Amino acid sequence: MSQPKEIFVKTHRCVGCLSCTIACAVEHSKSKTLFGAISETPVPKSRVYVQWVEPDGKVPLVCRHCEDAPCMYACISGAISRDENGVVITDTDKCIGCWTCVMVCPYGVIGRHLEEHKAYRCDRCPDREIPACVSACPTGALVYDTVDSFSAKVRNHVSRELLRAERG
Amino acid sequence: MYPGSCFGRKGDNVTEEKSKYIIVGASAAGMAAAHTIRLHDRQGSVTVLSEEPDTPYFRPLIPFVVSGKKRAEDMVLSGCGPYTGRDIFVRTEARVESVNTAEKTVSVQGSGVLAYEKILFATGSRPYIPPEIKGTDTKGVFALRTLAHARNMAKRVKTSDHAVMLGGGLLNLKAAFALLERGLKVTLVVYSPEVLSQLMEPEDAFLIRKAMDTAGLKIKTGCAATHIISEHTGVTGVALDHGGEMSCRMVCIGKGVRPNVEFLNGTNVWIDGGIVTDRYTACSAPDAFAAGDVAVTFKPGSGDRIMTALWTNAVEMGRCAGRNMAGVKTAYSGTLGILNATQVAEEPFVSMGVVHTKDRDFEVYRHATDTTYRKVVFNPQGTRLMGAVFIGDITNAGLYRYVIRGKMPVMHIKRYIMDHTLHYGHVMTGKM
Repeated sequence: MSQPKEIFVKTHRCVGCLSCTIACAVEHSKSKTLFGAISETPVPKSRVYVQWVEPDGKVPLVCRHCEDAPCMYACISGAISRDENGVVITDTDKCIGCWTCVMVCPYGVIGRHLEEHKAYRCDRCPDREIPACVSACPTGALVYDTVDSFSAKVRNHVSRELLRAERG
Repeated sequence: MYPGSCFGRKGDNVTEEKSKYIIVGASAAGMAAAHTIRLHDRQGSVTVLSEEPDTPYFRPLIPFVVSGKKRAEDMVLSGCGPYTGRDIFVRTEARVESVNTAEKTVSVQGSGVLAYEKILFATGSRPYIPPEIKGTDTKGVFALRTLAHARNMAKRVKTSDHAVMLGGGLLNLKAAFALLERGLKVTLVVYSPEVLSQLMEPEDAFLIRKAMDTAGLKIKTGCAATHIISEHTGVTGVALDHGGEMSCRMVCIGKGVRPNVEFLNGTNVWIDGGIVTDRYTACSAPDAFAAGDVAVTFKPGSGDRIMTALWTNAVEMGRCAGRNMAGVKTAYSGTLGILNATQVAEEPFVSMGVVHTKDRDFEVYRHATDTTYRKVVFNPQGTRLMGAVFIGDITNAGLYRYVIRGKMPVMHIKRYIMDHTLHYGHVMTGKM
């Protein structure tokens, strides 16, 4: 089996345009179009969050689908499981809205759907090849890649920077 | 079929039934341990003994059986969430009468003796019925703990119009709301000055109290039941300590739990309230471990001994015990005594760590609006976060738990904690 891809975040590239949050909400709407989505009730929810850190930092946060996912073990109703691609899924039918997952997730990326009284989170866009947030990001702050490939690119980049520095 | 998984099937040359791993108790801790063992030992036989007639289920869901929102088959544990290990043998109606820790055997009521190599005691706890309440042994008096209890309670609803709940803890509140949903009049009798006194102080609970009033729950605080009045059809009323009486056809007692340790009487297993465990979840007998409500464990940092009766803690400790039993030595990180999230009526709340601060030396910050309330508790020096109560808005509660549990220095992020604006971006950008 090929290694599953994950969503990586390059915080230094984020300009806080919130394109990712809009794309995410649209992807998780009934109509899947922007104009349709904004008129839906309940309002479609984004599963990616962009936090501001003073003075000018912007940090996109999205479910890490942790290897040792605290939410999955803490869930008191068996609603959270991991699928064959390593994606941690919340089964809305089983979720009872007790918010135990919210209490144990350090990233704060599990949302509370108040109208439906259910928890929701990133599902890595099962109907798309590339998650909507990544496709929408205009600056390359969100990257969809395998761990090996992403880390190789980081190493490569650092190596080039080092060489450039050595040569002056 | 794995070799060694012949437990329960007697071969000609087998004189004694044996399972490499025996787990006593099939709820959160026991099942978490069983599935964790399977991750690390694909061969060894794992047998779980449960005294209940039902196959393992998510115990916190039983109020939904009372309300009628879920059926028992919707609550089955095996195959859900992380409980997907294979070849785990669960024996229901298998009550362990005694354990011989020297010979490493257990005696199961009605089905003889079983031998083990490693054993986990995860027998959990049972409702505490205060002896000062007289006449509790009658039809219509419940203490909600098992699926069987929930079914009986659901049946009793049909012949009841009013239920009196004794105790204002979380489980009793959930039962109370389940009965409200069934259309009963429900009165909560609480000895403490306010509901949820284990999880917050009276002045912290006003939004929750308001939500409960709106939902139609009647609450009597500062009073206790002295006895249950009954006739041949069961309970007909409750007598209260200030002299009054309430007529009702149903009573539910939620006065806390006590660990199930009696089956270890006469053994050398060290018991002090519950089964005392070391950092590796082992108890004082060889190759024996304990986890969940029955285990005495410790708080991270201080090392103070505590017992908790929480699903989430039981799973965490059960997983740790499972690793240790399978030979992967793993220290348990300990647990916060208070670690609860839930929603009461329309009000979500989280309570964790140190939340009782009255007459104690802590730095406490409170903030209230019409719809939200928070209390954050720092150590006396104001340098570490010790606990938090969030009501109405529980955003990022998990990060606060992380800060509390990690005993992180908070001086540079204290403003965010007090404003409830702390988020993981602060971690990623090196603010903490």
